[in-house]
Parts: sequence; structure tokens; C-alpha cells
Amino acid sequence: MGLDIRLPLGLIFLVIGGIMTVYGFVTRGSAIYERSLDVNLNLIWGLLMFLFGLTMYLVGRRQKWQDDPVNPRPWEREGGAPRH
Amino acid sequence: MTLSIIDWLIMLVYFVFVLGIGFALKRYMRTSNDFFLAGRSIPAWVCGLAFISANLGAQEVIGMGASGAKYGINTSHFYWIGAVPAMIFVGIFMMPFYYGSKARSVPEFLRLRFDEKTRAINAFSFAIMTVLSSGISMYAMALLIQTLGLFHGIIPDQYIFHVSVFLSATIVLAYIFLGGLTSAIYNEVLQFFLIVAGFAPLVWVGLKNVGGWQGILHTLPSTMTHSWRGMAHANTNTLGVEWIGLSMGLGFVLSFGYWCTDFLVIQRAMAADSETSARKVPLIAAIPKMFFPFLVILPGLIAVSITPHVTSASSANTSSAVLGSPTTAILGTKAAEASAVPEAPGAPPHGIVPQKTDPLNGKPVLDSHGQPVYNYDLAIPVMLLHYFPTGILGLGLTALLASFMSGMAGNVTAFNTVWTYDIYQAYINKRATDAHYLWMGRMATIGGIVLSIAAAYAATSFNNIMDALQLVFSFVNAPLFATFLLGMFWKRTTGHGAFTGLLSGTVAALVHHGLTIPADTATGIHGGWITVLHRYPSDMAQNFWTAIFAFTTNLLVTVAVSLVTKPRPEHELVGLVYSLTPKPVETHLEWYQKPATLAFIVLGMLVVLNLVFA
Repeated sequence: MGLDIRLPLGLIFLVIGGIMTVYGFVTRGSAIYERSLDVNLNLIWGLLMFLFGLTMYLVGRRQKWQDDPVNPRPWEREGGAPRH
Repeated sequence: MTLSIIDWLIMLVYFVFVLGIGFALKRYMRTSNDFFLAGRSIPAWVCGLAFISANLGAQEVIGMGASGAKYGINTSHFYWIGAVPAMIFVGIFMMPFYYGSKARSVPEFLRLRFDEKTRAINAFSFAIMTVLSSGISMYAMALLIQTLGLFHGIIPDQYIFHVSVFLSATIVLAYIFLGGLTSAIYNEVLQFFLIVAGFAPLVWVGLKNVGGWQGILHTLPSTMTHSWRGMAHANTNTLGVEWIGLSMGLGFVLSFGYWCTDFLVIQRAMAADSETSARKVPLIAAIPKMFFPFLVILPGLIAVSITPHVTSASSANTSSAVLGSPTTAILGTKAAEASAVPEAPGAPPHGIVPQKTDPLNGKPVLDSHGQPVYNYDLAIPVMLLHYFPTGILGLGLTALLASFMSGMAGNVTAFNTVWTYDIYQAYINKRATDAHYLWMGRMATIGGIVLSIAAAYAATSFNNIMDALQLVFSFVNAPLFATFLLGMFWKRTTGHGAFTGLLSGTVAALVHHGLTIPADTATGIHGGWITVLHRYPSDMAQNFWTAIFAFTTNLLVTVAVSLVTKPRPEHELVGLVYSLTPKPVETHLEWYQKPATLAFIVLGMLVVLNLVFA
């Protein structure tokens, strides 16, 4: 299909990771982290998710499979079929 | 439980993306091939992640967490003896026939290899089974949302179940209706990563709290922390099954039967962009699959390892702090009460797992010895509430919801394909246009969802009927692998042989169930309804041996009938039987790109894991 899965995958991790990072930053030192043994899970895990999302998004942007001339998708191989 | 705006926001982002993928893919759905087979254009790694994600439904996440809490690391046998070897086998040996035969579904492969009646029996039983499984997933999700009180204060309590069912049904319907199998696969990949992202920090914090794996080893009995210890005899391990029943029943018959023949997962591999990719799909899937015990079973072990001395002051108040609603207060009070109940010596540990309560009168459920019964199904949800603060709690709940939805969507996409190709096109309307079949696929998606909702409501009123139906379907599935094995690897197998063998295998499973019973259970739905000839130490042992009997009967009857019936000419079986099919050409691939290399790597990792946790 013409949509590279890494784009939505990257974006969802960017957004959720971003929300968690910002929230974690704002609430650092808060009592809510007693539950997670005083580890600011929002900040740490949110940041990791954000970085993962960024990597996926950039890779997805760089290697769009519909633009790959070496390995065209099946629907592109059949002569006159339009490219997506 | 009161969720903050951040938790809701994270869940909302997930739902927006799920639906957005459906809308983005809508324009590519021009033929039935696009809708049902994703245009056979998806890369191997995407299909591989969807392959395991489609199976990551309620049974997997909640069920495996529950088993981990109840039986311990032994539960990993479902992965390390069960799923992974079967995935290697299907990738290396069976996928060339599924993909190469150009069959559009597993029942259609049975028609190509055998005959119409063998396809019919598989297509009809599979279609009914997928709708029921999807309904059960929906029911389990709505029940969990109700129990956790997710919508408490937003929606009146009596409507929470209904809203949960209709909301999940609408979302799954929308994205499959718009984007077909591609949409389901893409969302399954999203769900896979979210499940990992949601559960990995849970395991990390949990392990930190209980003193790591060493802490668990000290707290729990050794039968719960070693996967092979005590497996020589059924009475010396927590599963109540000996190694032969385990390796043959679970490892060979049931797992190979599921992972090698179930269209729900095979459909993901059939969507791959080439035969080599299709063969790699289960092998790629096997790598994360073998590590999944650490994400779904380990939380169960951690939940029962949390004893009062490892529970910090703040987390001891989890129940009252997090669980504020009337329904969830049940969880909280029972978790607190549980520690006050005097325990029998040698009673299994329960940690923070709450006691089971009677849904009608709210009283704690006691077993026949007067001991409390624990609700192990809540092991993972309780862990999320115990360790996750606002923010990441939203992510954890999203992961949980994602697992339920992927289970539902997997069943619905398999249903719409089997319905359209193997029932509608085969028996109702053979010569319609492709556009008509595409339309029928969309209608089947709506029909499948409506039937799933009906099944979910049936489960609320007739719980035993659902158990009985699931039992009947396990009888239908148990012998299935013998049919495929003989069909693909013995050219003499005939359609009459396969059909008779399948029926005989199902009857054998039924009879075996009627003649045996697990220890400490009453005759009826658990077995022994003909007469009791044998008592198994556990229901798992009975289940595994039922499968062994069904498989063996099918194998013997298929061989016997095939030998006395006329086989098909060999030229008709090229591409369908191993000995008559040219081996896949791999000369253009480097050694490290070949599926066999990947299979050896996976096998090696599997042996190491089995040895480490032996």
C-alpha cells in the first residue's frame, strides 16, 4: 500500500511520548511518583518513546517504499497501472 | 478509579490514529484483492508483527498474566514449546504451499488440495468460531472496563458495559470497513509497539520493587520459577501435566494446529509481498514472540511476589487511592481483606491479586476447602494501577485496550474473507463482479461485528453456553493439523480420507472428553458425561490429551481411508504437495537473507531460553 506504516507509527509515538515528557517535566518531584518507586516514569519513558517515534518517522520519510525504484510494489509492476 | 485528563488524552490520541489509518487507506481499496489480501504488497517485517499482534487478544495478555500469577514461569511453555517451534515449521515448510498455491484463504487451500466438502467443514466452523472469539474479546474488554470503573463518573454505572461494547465495536468496524486487511495489519503493528511500550516499564518497575528475578526466586516456590523442574510427573509441577503430554499435546498438536492452520494468523503471512517474505513472516514474528513471556507472564509472577515487606507505604494504599468507584472499591477492599484471611499452609502466593467476589451478592468466593479464590485475571490490571502514576497509566490502559481491539479486528478480517470467498462466492453467488465481492466484504465486516456484539451479550446471559461452545470448537480444531500435515507431505492423501479423518478426529475428541475428567471437578461441562474411565490431575492435562487422541485418530483414519480411495493425479497436486513441488529458488539471496538461516537463529535462541529458565 502507498502509506508507509513507519509514518503513523512514528507520529503516534512522537505525540504520546511528547505528552508524557512534558507532563513528566512539569510534575517532577511530585508525590504521584511514590507509586513508581520515586522514578519519574513519564519523563524517562516519554523521552524514550519520543526518540523512537522520531527515528521511525525520519526513516519512514526517507525510505518511502512507493518511491523505491529497485523494488516496485506489485500493483506498480503491471504496466499501465497508475502509481500511487 | 479517577483518570486525569492526561490519561484520557493519551487514549484519545490512540483512537484518532487508529481511525486515521483507516481513512488514509480507504483510497487504496479498489479491488477485493486490496481489501482481503492487502494487495499482497506488505513487507515481511510488517506482516510479522501483525502475525503475532492478531493473536495478542484478551486471552493472551490477560490470560497469560493470570497463568503467570497462578502457575508461574511454566506458562512460558505456551511460547517456548508451543508457539515458536510451530512458527518455525509453518515458515519453512508450509508457507510455500499456502502462498505459492495462490489460495486466498486456508479453506480455499483445502479445496485445492482435497475437495469441496473438506473446504466447507473448515470454512463454516472457522467462520462461526471467529465471530464468537471476537464477541468474547469484546465481552472481556467491556467487563474489564466496568470492573476498573474507567468511565465511572462520566457515564452512569449501569451503561458502562453497553457503551464499552458499542464503542469498541464501532471503532473496529470503522477502520476495517475503510481499509480492509491493510488497515487491520497496520493497526496491529501500532498495537504491537504500544503493548510493548505500555508493559515494558511495568515489568521494569515491578522487578525493581520485588528485588529483580533473584527476589522472585526467593519469594516464590521453585516450581513457579523453573519451567522444566518437576515436569517428569504431573503431580510435581503447577500445571498438573507431565512432559510427554506437554510436548505432544501442547507443543505438537495444539500449537502446530493453531499456528500452522488458523487463517487468522496465516492471512497476515499471505499478505506479504513475495513468497520469500511470506516464509519469513512467522520467523520474524517468532523473535518478539519468544520474549513475550517477559512482558505478559512476568507481570503475573511479580504481582504474586509482592509481599507486605516489599510493598512500600505509598503503594500499600494503592487500592484506596486509585480505586475510588463503587465497583472498583470491590477490588480494593478485597485486596486488602485478602491479606487478612488466614492462609492454609502451602497455599499458593497471591501478592496483590484481589480475591474473587460473587458478582451477584459481592461476597468473596471460597473453594471447597473454605479457602479464598483469587481473581488472577486481574493480575495485570492491578499491576498497572499499583505502579503507574497518572500519564503513563493512560499509556498502560491504552496498551490493554489495544490488545483487546487487535484480537477483535484479527477475527473480523479473517471472518469477512472466509465468508466472502469460501461461503458467499463458493455457495451463494459464484459469478459476481469483483466490485460486488468488495461490497460483500464490507457488508460481511458489518455482519461480523453485529454477530460479535450478539455473542458478547450472549456471554453475559449464558456464560456456560459460551464455555460449551468454546469446548466444541476445541474439538473441531484439535484434529486439524493431521489433515494439513498429511495433505502437504503425503501425496496419496485423498479428499475422502481428509474429510472422514477430520470428522473422526472431532468425534474422538468428544468421546475422550466424555470419558475423562480433571481431578476435583464435577461431571458435566468439564468431562465425564458418558462415564469416568480416567481422572487427569488438571484440566490442562485433559485438554492436551484430548488433542493427542483427536490428532492420532484423524491421522490413522485419514491414512486408512486414503489407502482405499482413489488419489488425485500427481500433475494436479504440483504446488500443493511437498514431494511434487519444486523447492523455492533462493539462489538470488545471500546466506543471511535465507529463511532457513533465520529459522536456525530463532531455534538457537529458543534452546538458550529454555535452558536459562529450566
